Amino acid sequence: MSAPRVLIIIPCYNEQGAIAALLEEISGCQQGYETIVVDDGSEDATFQIASRFSPTVKLLRNLGIGGAVQTGIRYAQSNGFDFCVQIDGDGQHPPREISKLLEAYRKIPSSIVIGSRYLQNDTFRSTWVRRFGGQAIAWTLNTLFSQSAVTDPTSGMRLMDRKAIKFFVKHYPHDFPEPISLAWALKEGFAVGEVPVQMRAREHGNSSIIGIKPIIYMLRVLGYIVLARIMRASPR
Amino acid sequence: MPATALKTVIVITIFAIGYMFFIIRKTARRQLDIYDLVMLSTVAIVPIVFAAFPQFAYWLANIAGVGFPFVVMFGMLFAILFIFVHRLTFKVHRLESDNRLMVQEISLLRQTLDHEEDKKNRIAQDGSIH
Repeated sequence: MSAPRVLIIIPCYNEQGAIAALLEEISGCQQGYETIVVDDGSEDATFQIASRFSPTVKLLRNLGIGGAVQTGIRYAQSNGFDFCVQIDGDGQHPPREISKLLEAYRKIPSSIVIGSRYLQNDTFRSTWVRRFGGQAIAWTLNTLFSQSAVTDPTSGMRLMDRKAIKFFVKHYPHDFPEPISLAWALKEGFAVGEVPVQMRAREHGNSSIIGIKPIIYMLRVLGYIVLARIMRASPR
Repeated sequence: MPATALKTVIVITIFAIGYMFFIIRKTARRQLDIYDLVMLSTVAIVPIVFAAFPQFAYWLANIAGVGFPFVVMFGMLFAILFIFVHRLTFKVHRLESDNRLMVQEISLLRQTLDHEEDKKNRIAQDGSIH
């Protein structure tokens, strides 16, 4: 049996300082991962740098993280990949941790496997507001969807299998995509698994979710999750 | 039951004719569709009807249990414009989804074309070396 084809989707926006090192690190893993960088309309040299190392799509205009990830998922489907793994373009997600997601899938094949910062691993440090927001979102998801037991719904490191790829090509949220895509997937009856991973602190650029934004983010996401719970499942 | 002053009727009629002329011209140039024309024309038609037939306004206000006829007129205009905005919201959402899809598809297509062109160039370069 041939090894499954794995595509790493790297959405990025103005990541010229981090993208080259990340792509070199991925190729250094020597796991045969293929990559697609989705440049979400960067104003710096991200596209030029990434193109030297990997197939790179430059979006004609900025679509936000959800639109960028969905572009990568489309690429995965049209090129017949078995799995796609989303990681951030800022280097926070060490590529060596991807094997843990695949290993978890081999043990229990959940359509989505999240790399969790908090599962059996409380070393990741973040602001209390963000941690509280993440916990509130996780609690809401786990309460509203009985099959859910996630600890890190906002993690941007996740694996999707063919079933999830097929679904997310058609339906992928553009606002707050990580937690809401989980809610949509749970509503569709997809199995969601988690595996502990190590993440690094951001070395380049700044997070866009600062100040009181985490609170607003949390409230909006909670609203969307409740809506996802009461809305009808999408026709497949 | 007071009659509407002639001046008021004239002012409203001028506004209505001007506005109708404007939106009909836009429709003729295909900048508005027929549905938009019908909905927007109510902004001109309703005040004219109320100004020309004030008894009708009082009659409606009486039926609706509203003290002032202008409340009925603004209520009707609000309802019509609300339906219009409601429909536009759906339309904008659909167009936005289509637009995102197109941006994604075109960007992927461009990546494929660039990739193919690079491949061709490399083959051509290799051929010229050998």
